Amino acid sequence: MKRRDELIVGATIVFTLLIVVTSAVWLSEMQLGAGGSVHVTRFRTVGGLGVGNPVVLRGVRVGRVKEIRITESDWVEADLHIYENTLLPAQPGVVAASASLFGEWQAGIINMAEPYSDPNVMNELAEAQAEGDDAWPGATLPDIGQLTAQGNRIATDIATVSSRIQAAFDSQTVHEVQRSIREFGQMADTLTRFTERQTAVFGEVSANIKHGSDAVTNAALNLEHALARLDSATAEGELDAIFNSIEGATAEMRSAVSSFLTLVRLAEENQASFVAVLVGADSVMTRMQNMTGTLGLLVGDSTLYVEATATIAELRALLTDIKANPRKYFKFSVF
Amino acid sequence: MRRIGVQSLPIALFIAVFTGIVLALLSSYTLTGAVPLYFVGTLVGKAVMIELVPVMTGLALSGRVGANIAAELGTMRVTEQVEALETLAYDPHSYLVVPRIIAATLMFPVVVALAEVTGLLSGWITAINLLDMSTVEFVKGLRLFYEFKDIWFGLVKSMSFGLAIALIGCMKGLSASGGAEGVGRTAMEAVVLGAQMILVLDAFWAVALL
Repeated sequence: MKRRDELIVGATIVFTLLIVVTSAVWLSEMQLGAGGSVHVTRFRTVGGLGVGNPVVLRGVRVGRVKEIRITESDWVEADLHIYENTLLPAQPGVVAASASLFGEWQAGIINMAEPYSDPNVMNELAEAQAEGDDAWPGATLPDIGQLTAQGNRIATDIATVSSRIQAAFDSQTVHEVQRSIREFGQMADTLTRFTERQTAVFGEVSANIKHGSDAVTNAALNLEHALARLDSATAEGELDAIFNSIEGATAEMRSAVSSFLTLVRLAEENQASFVAVLVGADSVMTRMQNMTGTLGLLVGDSTLYVEATATIAELRALLTDIKANPRKYFKFSVF
Repeated sequence: MRRIGVQSLPIALFIAVFTGIVLALLSSYTLTGAVPLYFVGTLVGKAVMIELVPVMTGLALSGRVGANIAAELGTMRVTEQVEALETLAYDPHSYLVVPRIIAATLMFPVVVALAEVTGLLSGWITAINLLDMSTVEFVKGLRLFYEFKDIWFGLVKSMSFGLAIALIGCMKGLSASGGAEGVGRTAMEAVVLGAQMILVLDAFWAVALL
């Protein structure tokens, strides 16, 4: 190979190497020669977080994921390379989450002293922190795929419910629903009218209550005046006189009550014979009502009345005949 | 190395330029509406570095380098120059084959690397001039899912392409017979077989390394 060819080939290779290395460094955003620190973060799972993903603090990129490995006790440890001069929170924690809807992931540094809004994340952080040592606690939010799958399940359930509703709502059901709606409308109209009437009644009642309240107020005023008068009246001994009169009347009433009690006791003593008289009278009346016994037959049987009437008539005829013809019936002879 | 590598740069860079342009335009056409436009950078970067530039450059160099080697060695074979070397106690494999294989294996990654950079540049220029994207957006997309593996994967693949093309060219060339017609047929077979081997190796590396 000629000298010139060697130079051209060598220059091409060197130039290509420079271009490739520069491009690789530039694309990976490596900070060659810069310092920084590496912090181990402990996750139960890192989700879609991968080596090279950005590490952000309040939205600002402050490092990148350097390495991810599975350790004992089912933990996953990620080494986060944090750039130099980064002001970290006093109690740092890490939340791995999708950076966008298109599968980009990032590790966000949070301050453990400030409560995170998601309780599941807080639980994961607490669990990772409970493992001890110097590793930062880490938690992972669900990725878009999981959320999409969940949304898909919800959509499927809604579709199932919709199909069931569609199956349940045949034309008859729709007619019934329409009729129910119409009836409900009528009922609403009725209720509205009733409400309007009741509103008027309530208005009247309110007015009456107002009047009543006014009357009560007046009565209270009158009572107040009366009490004032009573107060003024009692100031000169009239009340004592009234009480004395009441006491006398009470003594007389007590005496009357005592007489009344005596009368009641006498009545109680005669109660038995009075009851016996009543029972006997009741028995007689019952037998009369049942047309038994002499009085019953006398009252209830017309034959006796008829016979008696006929007898009286005959007696009257006999007396008339006796008066007219005494000798027919009486004979006086001395001898 | 100059003939196989440096002199192959123009065709490789030409392919890379238009690959980058077409990729940027097709990406924006595909992504319009639903996906942010900065994914143009992602698609251009991934496609250029991992797949399209190594394979298309390999196919182009299969025609240029593979046919060249096959025709050159085939002519030497049919004109009995290879036999002359053997008569002079030269091993034709070490004298004719090994330098070509080493040159192709070493220079293919160089050509492909420069083609990748050119493809990315052309995609970036297309994006900011024809797609109303900013440099920041394009670079954001380019860096979004970038891994160092993207670079060395394409380079390893292109190295295997160079090895395969040189081997096939040498094999076919040294087995040429039948005069000028045989040489032409040998060159054609070397190109076809080389192209097939590139596609097979492309699938192999995808399975093995991704």
